[in-house]
Amino acid sequence: MKQEGLKFFSDIYLTNTALVLFFLVFLGVGFWVFRSGSKEHYKHMSQLPLKKDES
Amino acid sequence: MTASQEKVKVQYDDQIVRMFFHATLFWAFAAFTAGVWIAFELAVWQLNLNTEWLTFGRLRPLHTNAAIFAFAGNAIFAGIYHSSQRLLKTRMFSDMLSKIHFWGWQLIILAAAITLPLGFTQSKEYAELEWPIDIAVTLIWVIFAINFFGTLARRREKHMYVAIWFYIATIVTVAVLYIVNNIALPTSIAHSYPVYAGIQDALVQWWYGHNAVAFFLTTPFLGLMYYYVPKAANRPVYSYRLSIIHFWALIFIYIWAGPHHLLYTALPDWAQTLGMIFSIMLWAPSWGGMINGLLTLRGAWHLLRTDPVIKFMVAALTFYGMATFEGPLLSIKSVSALGHYTDWIVGHVHAGTLGWNGFLIFAMIYYLVPKLWKTELYSKKLATTHFWIGLLGTLLYYISMVVAGITQGGMWRAVNEQGQLVYPDFVETVTRIVPLYYVRGIGGALYLIGFLLLLYNVYKSISMATEKPTDEVAEVINTNVKSEDIGTGHRKLEGMATAFTVLTLIAILVGSVIEIIPTLSLHKYVRNDVQVEPWTPLELAGRDIYVREGCYTCHSQMIRKMPSEVLRYGPASTIEESMYNRPFQWGSKRTGPDLARVGGKYPVTWHYRHMINPREIVKDSIMPNYPWLATEKIDYYALRKKLSIMKYLGVPYDDDTVANADLVAGRQAQEIADGLIEFGAPEEVRNKEIIALISYLQALGQKGGLSEEDKEGGSE
Repeated sequence: MKQEGLKFFSDIYLTNTALVLFFLVFLGVGFWVFRSGSKEHYKHMSQLPLKKDES
Repeated sequence: MTASQEKVKVQYDDQIVRMFFHATLFWAFAAFTAGVWIAFELAVWQLNLNTEWLTFGRLRPLHTNAAIFAFAGNAIFAGIYHSSQRLLKTRMFSDMLSKIHFWGWQLIILAAAITLPLGFTQSKEYAELEWPIDIAVTLIWVIFAINFFGTLARRREKHMYVAIWFYIATIVTVAVLYIVNNIALPTSIAHSYPVYAGIQDALVQWWYGHNAVAFFLTTPFLGLMYYYVPKAANRPVYSYRLSIIHFWALIFIYIWAGPHHLLYTALPDWAQTLGMIFSIMLWAPSWGGMINGLLTLRGAWHLLRTDPVIKFMVAALTFYGMATFEGPLLSIKSVSALGHYTDWIVGHVHAGTLGWNGFLIFAMIYYLVPKLWKTELYSKKLATTHFWIGLLGTLLYYISMVVAGITQGGMWRAVNEQGQLVYPDFVETVTRIVPLYYVRGIGGALYLIGFLLLLYNVYKSISMATEKPTDEVAEVINTNVKSEDIGTGHRKLEGMATAFTVLTLIAILVGSVIEIIPTLSLHKYVRNDVQVEPWTPLELAGRDIYVREGCYTCHSQMIRKMPSEVLRYGPASTIEESMYNRPFQWGSKRTGPDLARVGGKYPVTWHYRHMINPREIVKDSIMPNYPWLATEKIDYYALRKKLSIMKYLGVPYDDDTVANADLVAGRQAQEIADGLIEFGAPEEVRNKEIIALISYLQALGQKGGLSEEDKEGGSE
C-alpha cells in the first residue's frame, strides 16, 4: 500500500498538480483578505490589543 | 452587537504571570551561565575540571534545554497568560490548572538539570530527556492546553486576535511533535531505545528538531510580537490582512522544512529536495511577519531613540529577519555542503535565540515590570546600557562563529592539484579556529553581563513599588460568545475556536504525513543484497556509553556524498549501515572528526591512550580527558534486557545471544583487555567502561552495509 503510494512522488504530473494547487490556495487567500466589506472588520481586529476595558 | 451591553468586572490572574516571570529570570541565568561555560570549554579543554558531570557532551544538552524550555518556555507562558486574558477579556479558566502547570514545569526543568549532567539522555537534540520526564512533559502540556482552551471557551470577545492563533498553533503542534519523536521502549527507569532506527530516527528527529525551532521559538514569539509591539508602540499592527496570510503560510510551510538538516546524508533525495524547497519558500512568510512587526512602528520611530523596550523589539525583529534570511540560504544544498557540521550553524542558531528570542523576552520583561508591580522602571538608562552590551555580545558571538564555520568548512574541502586534501589532519582545522572560540565566549559573557543589569534593574523596580502587587481588574461587556451573531468567512472562523484549531492541525499534518509516513517503510530503501551485522552485546554497551557521554555533540557518524568527505573519511555512509541504530548517531556538528569509519583505523591501545589523554596522541586536541571510563564498571546485567528489547524491535539477534548477553560481552571484553594489558595498560582496566567503548569504536564502519560498488569510493 505504502509502496504504491510512494510511486506518486515520481509522477511529474501529480507533483505539478500539487504545486499549482498550493499556489492557487495561496493566491485565493491573498484575494480573499481583500474581499469587500472586510476593512471595518480588520480595523476592529487590529484594535483589540489596544482597547482598554470599555470595548 | 445584539447582545446585552451589561458590564461585568473581570479580575485577571496576574499572580501566575508574576510567577512565570520570576522563573524566566531564574532559568535565564542558569541557561546563559551554562552557555558561557561550555563556550569556554571549547577554548580551554580543562574547564570540565576533570569531572564527568561538567563535560561539554553532557552540559551542551543542559544548555540547550535550559535555554529553550526553561528560559524561553517560562517567558512564553508568562506572555501567553498575560496577553490571552486581556485579549479574551476573561480570567484564566482555572487557577488550579495554572498552578499545576507552573510547578509541574519547574519540576520538569529541575529533573532535566539533574539527569542531563548525570548522563541520562536519549541523545536526540532538544529531546534528550528520558522517558519518565517525557511523560511528565506531555501531562503538563495537556494541562496547559485544557487551561488555555477552557479560557477560549469562556471568552468575552468573540473574535480571536491573531496572537491567539499563534498560541493555538504552538499548543497543538508541540504536542504532536513531542509525542511522535519520543516514542521509545524503556529498558530501565532511566534508559530507553527509540522505536525508530537509523534513517527513520534521523528524519523523525529533525522533523521534530526543526519544528521545535518553528513552534517553540517562532510561533509563540510571533504571537507575543503581535501583542506587545502594538502595545509598546501604542498603535495597531501594520496590516491585519498580512497577519492572516503570515499565519497560514508560516505554519503550513514550516512543518516540511526539517530534512534540510540532513542534506547530502543517506536520506533519500526526494526528502532532501522537499526539505530544501520548503525552506526556501519560508523566506516569504518569515519576512512578511518581520515587515509587519517593524512597520507597526510607522509614525512612532522616535520611540526607538528614547524607549529601551522599542529598541529591544526592533533589534529582535531585525535579528528575526536576518536569521530567517540565513536559514533558507543555509538550506540550499550547495551552501549546506559548506556550512553543515561547522560553527556557522551554531552562529546562525544564536542569532535567532540571542537576538530574536532573547531580545523580545527582554523587551517583554521591561514592558511588564511596571505593569505587574504597579511601579516605574528603575532606570531606562541602565536598560539602554543592557541593550548595547547585549547587542555587542550577540554580534561578537555571531560574527566569530560564521567566520569560524566558513574557515573550517573551507579547510575541510580544500584539495590540491594532485587531488589530495590540503589539510588531511583534522586537528589543523581546529587549531585555526580556537582563537575564535575565545571571541565567542567573550560575546556570550557580554550577553550574560547585560542580563545581570536587567536583573538589577528589575529588582530595583520591584522594590520601588509602594503597594503589594495585585490582580488587575477590568470592566468588560459581558458578551456570551455562543449566542452572538457569528459572521461569515474568516470572521466566522475567528469566532470558532474548535474549527480553527482543527484547521491548524490539518495544516501542520499535511507536511508531516507526506514526509514521515513513506520513510517508515524502511525496507523500501534497504538493498537486499547488502549484509549488515548487528552490534555485539559489548559493542551495544559501548554504544550506550557513547550516547551517555554526548559524543554526538562533537562527532558525526555520517559521511556525506561529497568528494572531499570521501577523500577524508572513506565511502559515503549508507542507509543500511545505521539500520539497527537506536538512537541514530549521525550528529549535527563536527568539533572533532567524523567517526563513521573509525573502526580498525587505529589499534586498541591508541584508543585507550586517546581516551585517557587525547593530547598524548594528538598534540593540539581540544577533547577533554575521560579518565572515569577506566574506573567505572561495565553494566553487564542490563544487557539481556537491552538485547531483548532490540530483538523485539526487529534486530536479528539469536535467542542464545540474548539469553547470555552478559557472558558473550564478558568474553569479548576479556580479549580486548588482554590486548591492552599486554601493551602496558594497568590490570584494573578489565571490565571497565573504556573496554566497551573501544569495542564500539573499533566496530564503527565494520558491520557491513556497503555494496561492492560503494567500497570503490562512491562511484555514483
